[in-house]
Amino acid sequence: MNITELLKDLNSRGLEAEKICDGEIKVIANKDNFITHLHYLQSINYEHLANINGVDYIDENEFEVVYQIYSYTDKIHIIFKVRIPREKPVIQSIVDLWEQAQFYEREVHEFYGIHFEGNKDLSPLFLEDWMDLPPLRKDFDTERFSEIVMGSMRNGGKK
Amino acid sequence: MQIINYADEERRQEDNRKLWDKVTAYFRSRSLWMLHYCTGCGAMELPPIMTSRWDIERFGIVPMATPRQADILLLTGYASTNTMKRIIRTYEQMPEPKWVIAFGSCTVNGGMYWDSYNTVNNVGEYIPIDITIAGCMPRPEAILDTMVKLMNMVKSGDAKAFQKYKDNYGYYKANQDKLFARTAPVLESASLKYVHNETEGSEQ
Repeated sequence: MNITELLKDLNSRGLEAEKICDGEIKVIANKDNFITHLHYLQSINYEHLANINGVDYIDENEFEVVYQIYSYTDKIHIIFKVRIPREKPVIQSIVDLWEQAQFYEREVHEFYGIHFEGNKDLSPLFLEDWMDLPPLRKDFDTERFSEIVMGSMRNGGKK
Repeated sequence: MQIINYADEERRQEDNRKLWDKVTAYFRSRSLWMLHYCTGCGAMELPPIMTSRWDIERFGIVPMATPRQADILLLTGYASTNTMKRIIRTYEQMPEPKWVIAFGSCTVNGGMYWDSYNTVNNVGEYIPIDITIAGCMPRPEAILDTMVKLMNMVKSGDAKAFQKYKDNYGYYKANQDKLFARTAPVLESASLKYVHNETEGSEQ
């Protein structure tokens, strides 16, 4: 399936899909039924889940979870985006579709506090003894944290 | 009967000890083993220094794989809090006398990562450092220059940072605990954290 056919197909399934450049498309999905779409993509040779990212849109009060999916047969990279509310950051896990999602979801959980329903092990992966707000959330003040714990000073302190 | 002047004898023994210290310091300075443990981006600077281009072995400095057989610890760049834990553990395993060289601005004030939540700003607050090299990263020539300076310091007995660590252990330990032994969140924003409730979360 080439890129124009894929776009037509995805649009007919009720997804907002648009082309970014050759071999790369962006898809925006709803958090209630995104798993069925991912399942469909997997069935049409999109077998590689490269990464899961989190994005914090604090002004819109939303988190975005981004799935990077690639097809080795079609050579197309799909950037699959799902938005969830910031007050209740819960999204379904895709461990059943791709096993490696286990670790990507653990990482996103650790750095954004997004809960993945169905992922059995969401224990900390990189941070040790972390008790504060997840550090990549925009409302975490990293400079203040560094000042208190590490004693950092803006511009090296007063001259 | 021979009369022994005890004051003279004591002085003579002390001189001998000083001489012995001088001799060991001289030989030590020509046989330094640096630990092959690299943090941050300076790890890239070391292969050319150790190999044919700059060849640090002509000064008698050879890389060693384990901390228990090494006596120079190189901190080659920024230290994250997780790495700092390992650095301290490594440093405490090394036998005395031991020396620490810190590379670049990141180890002095955090460099470009000064406001990061996971990068230690001043490494010298957690372990004692003998020499810091300026630069981001320092050139191999600067590193060679530092090594020669360290050799001279070892020879003259000025490189005593490990002694400082033993004498002021309370200070270093307090700083380390501030970093690793936190029991409560640092910022008030921690209360905003989302805690998932299983019964509430299931939408069935």
